[in-house]
Amino acid sequence: MLKIVFGDIENSIYHPPTWFDNRYEDEWITDPLSVQMIKDIDKSDVISPHLIESPVLGPISTKELSGGVKTLMLMAFDESGKIFNASSCGNNCAKWIVAIAGRKDLTINLHHVMDFSSVGEFDALMLNTGRMVHSYEEYVDEALGIEER
Amino acid sequence: MKGSYHVMVQNNRLRYEFDIRRNITIIQGDSATGKTTLVQMIALYAGLGESSGIELRCEKNCRTLDNPDWELILPAVHDTIIFLDEENLFLKTDQFARMVRESDNYFVIITRENLVNLPYSVEEIYGIHTAGKYHDMKRIYNEFYHIYSNGAFSSEIAPDAVIVEDSNSGYEFFHEVCAQKQIPCESAGGKSSIILRLKNTRKCHILVIADGASIGPEMNELAQFMKTHPDTRCYLPESFEWIILKSGLIDGNALQELLSHPEDFIESREYFNWERFFTHILIQYTKDTYLHYSKQRLNTAYLHDRARDAILKVMEHIHFK
Repeated sequence: MLKIVFGDIENSIYHPPTWFDNRYEDEWITDPLSVQMIKDIDKSDVISPHLIESPVLGPISTKELSGGVKTLMLMAFDESGKIFNASSCGNNCAKWIVAIAGRKDLTINLHHVMDFSSVGEFDALMLNTGRMVHSYEEYVDEALGIEER
Repeated sequence: MKGSYHVMVQNNRLRYEFDIRRNITIIQGDSATGKTTLVQMIALYAGLGESSGIELRCEKNCRTLDNPDWELILPAVHDTIIFLDEENLFLKTDQFARMVRESDNYFVIITRENLVNLPYSVEEIYGIHTAGKYHDMKRIYNEFYHIYSNGAFSSEIAPDAVIVEDSNSGYEFFHEVCAQKQIPCESAGGKSSIILRLKNTRKCHILVIADGASIGPEMNELAQFMKTHPDTRCYLPESFEWIILKSGLIDGNALQELLSHPEDFIESREYFNWERFFTHILIQYTKDTYLHYSKQRLNTAYLHDRARDAILKVMEHIHFK
């Protein structure tokens, strides 16, 4: 289940890539989900927990992955109880957020109206209003009525 | 600072090339397009110069601003293009907006958030994409592209309702034009209320007329509203005053020269956004003439047939029927 909360909230991490650099676990990187997300978002191949092959930058460290894919891995694997700011993610991460929320209860924090149009049908609970939305259209209609950013 | 500046920054793997022409430029877009890498390269060059292995070419100094002492550093920086990454919590603060307003620097800000305190232009919101590889097939060439291309927003429309951001002269003009065609026209009373008005308007073909020079913070939400309401259109000129200046009602070679490259005339410290500059110019050019302009109340001369038609002619694709 995906839960979305807009605006400043307690227990959230505003810049997840920095949190990731200091808290990630090696096994997150080689998990099949991460391998797929890194391939899709960063167009890069996981060689080992410490080595990624980027078509642009060549061999890079895990810390040089994009902020979006780092945030996705935190959403998937971090067990600190923190809520991560999905405004660090581009719209190309939207389908992965929905996919991660299909595996676990996931609460994300947003400071902008993320574009989920590439996902189409999805369910989310909008925590600011307590309403469930079931599609991109319902999500936009609800999100645009929420003042917090 | 005023003027347009070409920036080229490269290392052995990547090359970025782009132009900065206003005081505030926003970079956003998909993850993994190289936004943070760009800022890191600028920071390395600013710190180490050529010994960083990075080459940076620009007529102006380029640097980053990203530490807790930004409030102390910024007042000491002048005539510089400053790059800021999204991790900086201060980007949304009133204090930062105030210091940008008083600054003679240009700012390039990476963020997906709506920085409502900063009046940036829809024209200066960019993404980064790969334009190709260099002839050595090793270096990737990245350039900026407009996230909101104007064509997609202002394509042909004969509106059955009009929402005007403005509540002064611009609104009075469009209200009169619409009244003659029996089209409802209302003022949003400010850019932050446009979405609310759109949600409450029970018409299909709604036209939003807003100042492109400062609508930037609202664009993500407007664009998504338009995705879910495809018959809505936005007309986003720099400002109502810009439309009048473009209409040909006011003669002058100097004016045409100014309109063809305004960035070379607009001092960022004096004008927080271009809308204010165009208002100032229009007032100056029409002073003591029958077209004397006031932002607060529309001079009815602009509603006479010739003036009205000239102004509407600037608005390509918009048909008030």
